Amino acid sequence: MSRLARIASPSRLPLLAALAFLAAFVLLPLGGLAAATVFGPDGFTLEAWRALAEDQNALTQLSASLQLGLAATTVSLLLGGLHAWVTIGRDLPGGAWLGPLGIAPLVVPPIFVAMGFADLASVSGFWPCALLLGVAHAPFVAVLAARGLRSVDGRAYEAAWLLRGRPRAERWLLRAIAPELLAGCLLAFLFTLADHGVPEFLTVKGKTWHTYAEGLFSRWSRRAVGTTFAELQSPITAALPFVAGLGCLLWAALRLRAAAPDRGVVRPLPLRPLGAWRWPALLAPAVYLAAGIGLPVFVLVRWVLGSAQRLEPMSLHYAQQSFHKAMDQGLPDLLHSLWLALGVAVFVVLLALPLARASARRWPVLDLLCALPAAIPAILLGIALVRSFHDEALLRRLGGDFYAGWGFALCGYAARFLPFAALTLSAQVRRQSIAAEEAGALVRRSPVTRALRLHLPPLLPATWTAGVLVFVLALRELDLAVVLPAANATAVRRLANAVHFQHEDWSGVIALLLLSLAVLLPLLPSLLAGRRLASLS
Amino acid sequence: MRQRLPLVLLLLTACGAKAGSGGPTIYVALDQEFSQPVLDRFAAELQIDLVQRHDSEAAKTVGLVSMLMEERSNPRCSVFWNNELANTVRLAQAGLLAPYDSPSAADVPAAYRDPQHRWTGFAARARVLVVNTELLPDRSTWPGSYADLVDPKWQGRCGVARPTTGTTLTHFTALRQVLGEDAYGRLLDGLVANEVHLLASNGATVNAVREGKLAWAFTDTDDYHVAQLKGFPVACVFPDQQEGGIGTMLIPNSVAIIKDGPDQANARRLVDRILARETEALLAAADSAQIPLRTGITGPADPGIRAVGTFRQMVWDVDWTAANLARCAAEWDRRFGK
Repeated sequence: MSRLARIASPSRLPLLAALAFLAAFVLLPLGGLAAATVFGPDGFTLEAWRALAEDQNALTQLSASLQLGLAATTVSLLLGGLHAWVTIGRDLPGGAWLGPLGIAPLVVPPIFVAMGFADLASVSGFWPCALLLGVAHAPFVAVLAARGLRSVDGRAYEAAWLLRGRPRAERWLLRAIAPELLAGCLLAFLFTLADHGVPEFLTVKGKTWHTYAEGLFSRWSRRAVGTTFAELQSPITAALPFVAGLGCLLWAALRLRAAAPDRGVVRPLPLRPLGAWRWPALLAPAVYLAAGIGLPVFVLVRWVLGSAQRLEPMSLHYAQQSFHKAMDQGLPDLLHSLWLALGVAVFVVLLALPLARASARRWPVLDLLCALPAAIPAILLGIALVRSFHDEALLRRLGGDFYAGWGFALCGYAARFLPFAALTLSAQVRRQSIAAEEAGALVRRSPVTRALRLHLPPLLPATWTAGVLVFVLALRELDLAVVLPAANATAVRRLANAVHFQHEDWSGVIALLLLSLAVLLPLLPSLLAGRRLASLS
Repeated sequence: MRQRLPLVLLLLTACGAKAGSGGPTIYVALDQEFSQPVLDRFAAELQIDLVQRHDSEAAKTVGLVSMLMEERSNPRCSVFWNNELANTVRLAQAGLLAPYDSPSAADVPAAYRDPQHRWTGFAARARVLVVNTELLPDRSTWPGSYADLVDPKWQGRCGVARPTTGTTLTHFTALRQVLGEDAYGRLLDGLVANEVHLLASNGATVNAVREGKLAWAFTDTDDYHVAQLKGFPVACVFPDQQEGGIGTMLIPNSVAIIKDGPDQANARRLVDRILARETEALLAAADSAQIPLRTGITGPADPGIRAVGTFRQMVWDVDWTAANLARCAAEWDRRFGK
């Protein structure tokens, strides 16, 4: 068998297809953008990069972003970390329910959290922004800390308790979950740095502070009206070093999470009594859940009831009208969002499975490549995709219009969210016994049979989790929806506009329906098969 | 493997196949809630399969303008309906628009038509001051000029959207030319000294005023009008109407045909329909309360929104403004983007 035939053997096709996708929808578009920054109309030039170096605001904005990231991450650590600490393996009243609910705020887009707070209080400036972003990204810390606490061997904890006393045992426990805690903090930090919507929403008075992500958007707006080569390239030159930095952060966070010691068969932690703190400790999950999901939902419900108008008092009758308007204005967009998110979840999982196996077993560098799209501002990835595909002659010759259709939106979203599935699954593959796979390879079965009977079953729970995560993220994606033609007709884009144009009543209905959809899928296994909600984290 | 490649490409194009891909495509920056019913109606009347793509407020007009720039080598858009003018003129300066002298535009005032017929203006919004009437119940205390932004009397109590995109960028760029460099520089310095609230968008400024967080702010008439419709205590002031004042800026919608865009014949029919007098009447009666540019068309019912000819208009050079948008946005970043 020739080398080419071996590479193209049926068993490798899924991996080759996934790699081809990664190349076509991530590497080539970004490479094209990067190349365009040094090749002007008159050939090779460093003009655009020199302009960035001379841009005095870039460093200031970067510093503001880093400060915001640190402050927001501290809030995430306090809220998320404390939530996990008091709900997992404790005698907290309702802890069995409150613990798994730690993942719930993840379904709420950060902009909803900001809108919720802004509706009830005057929020502007650095610290409110840090607080809101900290609240919005606290689930990363809560979920990973909970995962760490569940995987610690209770026998080791008990031994530490017996030998060195409870305070020291608690400190040992904290050290044991440090990698997961740090990974959660890094993810919260990363998402804070990349967030453009919340700082912009809370834009403040006068000459105060602006983030790097805002600076990118500002350059992007100049690109639309710019005339010089440096102006046209400035959002890209500014974004590329940022992307590289965020990519490294993301990779570090996911490696930390994946490298958290596989503790094998563990006994759960013993129930650690909270003593006199048993009831007061309820405050931690209460604040975490109220800020992350309770308050935004409360504000949305008030909007639906008519809080954002002064013509009549809030009432169920007004809510009915809001619902009718929402059905009239936003139902098609909501359905588009649902089908797109479902399609993206399935497609991403199919791509991620072979990539995860390859990165876990052969090429760890694939992790870094897979992580790249999550580190790119979505608007930049959108531009790169538009540039690469709007004028694709080969696709045009075959008829149809890939660029304007849902297929392009699906591929764009899949490229954006591939890291979340690929890295989740690769971490899971690393935990599987390689001995079992080697034994399986000795049995004369086809690669497909081996994949279906040996490799896939242990990955199914993680596959479901990855699919759910991608589904939720796809439902709430706004930036790509702005750029990709077909994704233009999605509920989140419509929602962002409706709120701006003071249509809070019916956009509240759409937002609540969107949140319900995002919650429904994770709940399905619990409802249908009695699977524990905690398994999602 | 080679045999499978066409299959993959065929699948990809199948994903792209969609109904109605043969008709014209319109990119619309005006709010979808107002523009979609109008366009659906026009498409039915003209019996064309119209694909509509709407802008996102997150991108504040520049989203679609940027897309048109990106797609220039293979245009997907036939008609661009912009909710302001300067970015359309910028597209014309960049050579992206095809000339078309629509018969429906014959009675549009010359100031709102391109001499080379690449764009036509219609149905405008005015840049006005929205005032909270609970905080400022006495009309005689209301602000009446752009200069009030820098009046110490209003320190920390007034606002304007950040002029980096949309109508506020157009407004501030035009002000630079109207006031001159020195006065414009003093205005920018004064914004900082007077702690003027620089908010994310015109919608955000109206929200801040209607909820009493600010006493007044600069905004567009449509944003003011929606707040007024919802019963909030707001009123509208057309600024700079005093003798010798610079006047109130009027920013019309604009429509243009994209050069080499699909289905040019139906694109022209659609532009004719959009520029019909009836469209201005429809947009005036809608929640966006747009001001008709032509005489003899019923304007918005809101008495706060004045008809063309009943107020002093700011005279601004649209070509200069379009050519200087990037420079002004960059200047803004240098001063405030830290």
